[in-house]
This record gives sequence, C-alpha cells and structure tokens, in this order.
Amino acid sequence: MRHPSDGTLRRLLDEPDGVADADREHVKGCAACLSGLAAAQQDAAFAGAALEVAFSPDVDEGWQRLANAVAGEERRSGAMSAPAAGWRSRLRSPVVAIFGVAAILGGAGVAAAADWLQVFRAEKVTPVTAPRAELVKLPELSAFGDLEVTAKVDTRRVADAAAAQKATGLSVPLVVRLPRGVTGEPTYQVGGRVSGVFTFSVEKTARTVAAAGRTPPPPPRGLDGSRFRLGAGPGLAAIWSQGRPIPALVVARAVTPTVHSSGVPFETARDYLLSLPNLPENVASQLRGFSGAGTTLPLFVAAEKLTTSGADVGGVPATVLSSRDGAMAAVVWVDGGVVTAVAGSLGADEVLSVARGLRWGR
Amino acid sequence: MSSPLGRGAVRSDLEQAFRTAYPRVVAVAARVLGSRDEAEDVAQEVFLTFARSSVPAGEAMGWLSVAAAHTALNHLRSGRRRALREEAADEGGAVCPDIADTVVTLDERRRVRAALARLPRRQAVALVLRHSGLSYAEVAAALDLSPGSVGTTVRRAESALRKELNRHASSE
Repeated sequence: MRHPSDGTLRRLLDEPDGVADADREHVKGCAACLSGLAAAQQDAAFAGAALEVAFSPDVDEGWQRLANAVAGEERRSGAMSAPAAGWRSRLRSPVVAIFGVAAILGGAGVAAAADWLQVFRAEKVTPVTAPRAELVKLPELSAFGDLEVTAKVDTRRVADAAAAQKATGLSVPLVVRLPRGVTGEPTYQVGGRVSGVFTFSVEKTARTVAAAGRTPPPPPRGLDGSRFRLGAGPGLAAIWSQGRPIPALVVARAVTPTVHSSGVPFETARDYLLSLPNLPENVASQLRGFSGAGTTLPLFVAAEKLTTSGADVGGVPATVLSSRDGAMAAVVWVDGGVVTAVAGSLGADEVLSVARGLRWGR
Repeated sequence: MSSPLGRGAVRSDLEQAFRTAYPRVVAVAARVLGSRDEAEDVAQEVFLTFARSSVPAGEAMGWLSVAAAHTALNHLRSGRRRALREEAADEGGAVCPDIADTVVTLDERRRVRAALARLPRRQAVALVLRHSGLSYAEVAAALDLSPGSVGTTVRRAESALRKELNRHASSE
C-alpha cells in the first residue's frame, strides 16, 4: 500500500484513534514510516518546548478587568448612542468612524421648529488627518448638550444577500473575485436606521470649555436650546471573518448620515463649534476648509496609524486608508446618498481591486 | 452595521464563557507572544469582541482560541510589543533564577516570535492551537480545514519552526 502522509504520521502521535487502522498497521511494519514518525516526534517535541508557557493566569483578576471594560463601553454608549460613540472606539475603525462624525458637524445649532430642515447630508467623504493624541482630545457631542437617542443601533444577522437587501432597501454588491487568502461565504449583518435628537446647551458648552481652562466665545443668537435631528442608516455588511476579530474582508453600505434642523444656517452652527478654544487647532482648521454646504463627511484619521490617498471607484472619488503596518486597508466612497466601504486585513491595492470589481445586482 | 461583531448587547453567558476559556485564551496568546502581560492584553481584546458577538456558545472555545492566535500574531506583525525589560520584570526570578538564564530565555523567546511571524499564517495558527491542546477536529473547524490536513499543516509548521530556530542558532 501507499505510505501514509506526513500529516497522518503526525496525527498518529497525538490522536492515534483518528488514524485509519490500515495506516496504523502499515506504519508498525514500515521502516520508512517509522523513521518519518520519529522525525515528526522530534520536531513536535522541539516545538512543544519552544512554545511552552509556564504560568497560569488569574481568572478573577482577568474577569474584573473585562467587566470594567464592558461597563465602560456601556456607559459611553448609553450616554452617546452607538453612532456617536466614544472617540476611542471611533478611531479603531475608519468604517465605524463614518457613522459617528456627522454628530460633530451637526452638533452646532439652530432653533428647533416644527418643520425640520435638512442641514447636512453627506455627499462625499474627506479625510481629516491629525495625530492620534489630538483626535482623542476632540470632545464628545455630550460636551455641548444632550443627545436623546430615538432609534438605537440594532444590528442582526440575516441569512443571505437577498434578506439583507430586503431588510435595508439597499442593493448588495457581489464580490466577483475574492482577494487571495479570503475564502468561503460571507455572513450578512443589517442594521436599521439610527437617529437621535441633539439639544444644544450653552451652559454645558461653557462648562466643557472652562474645564479645559478656556473661555468660550459668545454663542450666536438662538443657539441655546436649539435642536438637531441626526440620522444614519439603514446599512448592511457582508463579512468574511474567518474567525478573526478583524475580518478578512468587509463590504459595507449605509445610507449616509444626515442632520436636520431649522432656522440658523448650518455654517453658523458649525463655525461656532469650530471656534471653541478646546478643539485642537489642526483638526478645526481642516474642518473649516470644508465647503460650507454641509455635504462633506469628515473621516477622522490618526496620522500615526493610517495613511490616506485618493482614488477612483467607478468614476466616483474615493478615499483609501491604509494602516502603516500594512495590516489593514479600506476604501470609502459616497454615491447617491449611500456610503460604501470595502475594508479588511488586506493591502490597499486589494481593497481597491475588490471595490472596482463589485457587481451591482438589482 | 459596520462591524459584524460590533455593537450588539453584551451576551448573557459572557462570565461563564470567560471563566471557562480565559486560561486557554491567555495560553494561546502567550505561546505566540512569550509574555504574560501581552497575552493578557490580547485575551482582553478578544473577549471584548466576543462580548458583543453572536458566536454560538458551543463554538465559543474554538472561536476564542483562533481569535487569540490571530490577534497575537497580528501584534507580532504590527510590532506592538512591549519593551524587553517589561518581559524581564514580568517573568521574574521564579522561572529564571539568574540573569544569564533570563537573557538566554528572552533571546529564545525573541527568536521563537520571529520564527512564528515568518510562518504562513495558517501554519502558525494551527501550530499554536494544537500545542494549546485543541484537538484535530477543533483545529480543523477553527481553520476551515479537513481534520486530515490539520496533521499536514502542523507537521509542516513544526518542521519549519525547527529549521528557522536552528538556522538562527547556528548563524549567531
């Protein structure tokens, strides 16, 4: 008979019951296989010694640490709602970042009236690059007023692309060719529309600015108590996770964030926020450079972690983000009121190639 | 909606899963990183993701183990390693009673990490999981391999690891 493979010999060391009887019998009487088995045993013992771990962790201490971390996340998301979650978590994912940022731009204000006027609707994405330390210093929306979440993020898994399309009304692009190393079928997640109402508070803003040892400029008339309605989604994602916390590939789409208000123009509100002395100047000046119409979604990028560049996906300008360590890349673009991102533990050329090769079914 | 495992509710079986799997998860990460502190950081990162995931309870151990291996290997790859002196302080005198031994141990760890970082990802994960006590069936499920090819993958990884370490030992 044929000699069993090296893999079978290796398994014979660990799980002899997992090896076919015929193979076991063969090995017993075969000098070549016995020699192969001995070599496998030596290499296995060597690897075992090299990988040995000589301690046992403290489970109680570990649990306490995790429980605190989870509780910390809960507090942050309870106060802010997920789309406007803490900066730290936003920074972790450029894709997540998209959903949070409209809040800052919308966080300035206008008096609320019965009829809401759309003051912000993302039509393009522009990176705002700054050192991580400065981005972390950006205040939360709750530093300027109160956010009441009217529809929380609620994601759920659905069976397939058709179900994702049905749940969100968004078309699901087909990835024609997967990058090397990405295999299998994706799982699909959908999320409904998220929304909230933000009420601007001059007093809270003053306290925030004072805490940083500064004095806020006088607010424009009508800003105090003015309300903004923030919304984003629904959205969907096709995920090739292959068991990793960072998926191998994600293709995500969502209806872009919008901000509705009435009264004071968007620019007035935005300019006031950007004039506050506790904002890092580098970030504020980049935001000021956006055209005044309220159509640019800033994508906050930590300069140490990511590099950005421009690209073109099917004739639409796109932003490519690449982590400096080469571990991940993403490409993001907005078209027709929908933001689409292709991201993963891939190279920039690979995510671009996936993005450009997407096939749009109906 | 942007994250598969992202912002759902915290799963109710989190503590139970943690208490069952934490030692295994830390051990998997420690085999890659050679440092207790770093391994515990990786374990926290993995469980934090798991906390809001919808991974079925029956698959939790496999998922957590493979996530720990990938995350730890990512740490190697992205160079998010702590200073060697921290490792030295961390491991203390109990394991390595004198300085010469400590230096040798640290150097070996460094070489093991470098060798793991050079292995193909699937081989490195299979190797670490197998040496962390996962069965062939568990490694196969975690890596989407047939149980038959787990042996081949582990065998290749062990052979490559030994060659790498010997090559470096003889060239130094």
